[in-house]
Amino acid sequence: MRYEFNWGLLWREPYFDWIVEGILTTFHLALLAWILALCLGIVIGVLRVTNSRLLRAIGTTYVEVFRNIPLIVQLFLWLYVVPQMLPREFSFWWNRLDNVPYWTAMIGISFYTSARLAEQIRSALRAIPPGQFKAGLSTGLTQVQVYRYVIVPYALRIIIPALTSEFLTVFKNTALALTIGVIEITATTRRIEAWSFRGIEAYTVASLTYIATTILVILFMSWLERRYQIPGLIKRGEARV
Amino acid sequence: MSQPIIRVESVGLRFDSFVALDDVSLSVNAGQCIVICGPSGSGKSTLLRCINGLERFQKGDVWVDGVSVSGCQDLPKLRRGVGMVFQHFELYPHMTVLENVTLAPIKAKGLSRKQAEDLAFHYLDRVGIVDQAQKHPGRLSGGQQQRAAIARALALEPKAMLFDEPTSALDPEMIAEVLYVMRDLARGGMTMLVVTHEMGFAREVADEVVFMDRGRIVEHATVDEFFSTPRAERTREFLNKILLKL
Repeated sequence: MRYEFNWGLLWREPYFDWIVEGILTTFHLALLAWILALCLGIVIGVLRVTNSRLLRAIGTTYVEVFRNIPLIVQLFLWLYVVPQMLPREFSFWWNRLDNVPYWTAMIGISFYTSARLAEQIRSALRAIPPGQFKAGLSTGLTQVQVYRYVIVPYALRIIIPALTSEFLTVFKNTALALTIGVIEITATTRRIEAWSFRGIEAYTVASLTYIATTILVILFMSWLERRYQIPGLIKRGEARV
Repeated sequence: MSQPIIRVESVGLRFDSFVALDDVSLSVNAGQCIVICGPSGSGKSTLLRCINGLERFQKGDVWVDGVSVSGCQDLPKLRRGVGMVFQHFELYPHMTVLENVTLAPIKAKGLSRKQAEDLAFHYLDRVGIVDQAQKHPGRLSGGQQQRAAIARALALEPKAMLFDEPTSALDPEMIAEVLYVMRDLARGGMTMLVVTHEMGFAREVADEVVFMDRGRIVEHATVDEFFSTPRAERTREFLNKILLKL
């Protein structure tokens, strides 16, 4: 291969600043989208197992809409279509925001992810013995309190490994935000390539950013899994027979 | 006479075509301990669940301390007044024993953490597992778990306690320690309704015994009558089976 590497380029202006900014954007976009997705996912997941037929229908519709449209299409819908369907005052306010593509990406990614999370949470909720719910009610807790203090914390502990995967997916899905104009790390590397024709160096930065971060996340989540494992119920690395 | 703590009147419940409870009536007075026995599927557990509103019945009504269950606007409050102990303990596995016991007093009753913990330690001591307070249920033996579950129910200071086959999931050695706690409670004047097949417990502790079959109360008698001169043929048959273990 006749290619002269120039890694030093990455430390020079303006590229270095771009990279730092790109990485930070990727990080906070992923984190905000994740937090919103987790909150929505828990609520929708719970709706899908409640006794009320109406609430279940709302949950099912939500899940099927947001997980069955490709994420990239959803991003375009949020950017171009949804603002036009909202009241005029709101779309004025929205379009005058500083960073519309960024907020659009955050909403799009978190709604998409929350539908997937809701399904994970639903299956965990169904794995919890129904007696737990009865026990909670019998002590005078309300239904909401039983979910809040007993069922959901229990379910989240069961699905920590699945949550890890979902977080990694969110993190990598942020790369799609470049299609609607968010300058995160992948968009940054494209820009560096366009300016300097140094594609290999630039894309190496992006790849390393993703790999290094996901490894850190995996380490953190396995610590979390140990920290919150339920004593005597689920043992790490040991199948329950 | 004062009004009964629990009054069940002509309660009927069916799941589709299956009749779970058929015109069941029963009263439990303050300080009484009544044992309910009967074959599986006879409606014993369902009856207990109707009493604290965990199961909706279609006919009749239940009154707990004068409050109608079917017309109750505040079921959580009613349930706080009736402790319930389950066959499979149903402790929350992700919380310590202390957290299990203090959860409802804090969240449902509005006690401070300090008050709730004092109360929890008092009742954990009473059931003899105060030294296990900081452990998770999974680290306890079955007998200890069931005693923790009893402490969880007692911490709400209920007017009556419902026990749903509390020893059926336990090893023989652990049954004794749970029955000991229950006997202690009954002697302390707690109003109790106990679904169990521990006839030794019934004989020694209960005031009355109820025998159910196919959703009906077949026999309701004092302990002595129940064991010496059961009236219904079905009761005799059942007693022969479980007492003689033929």
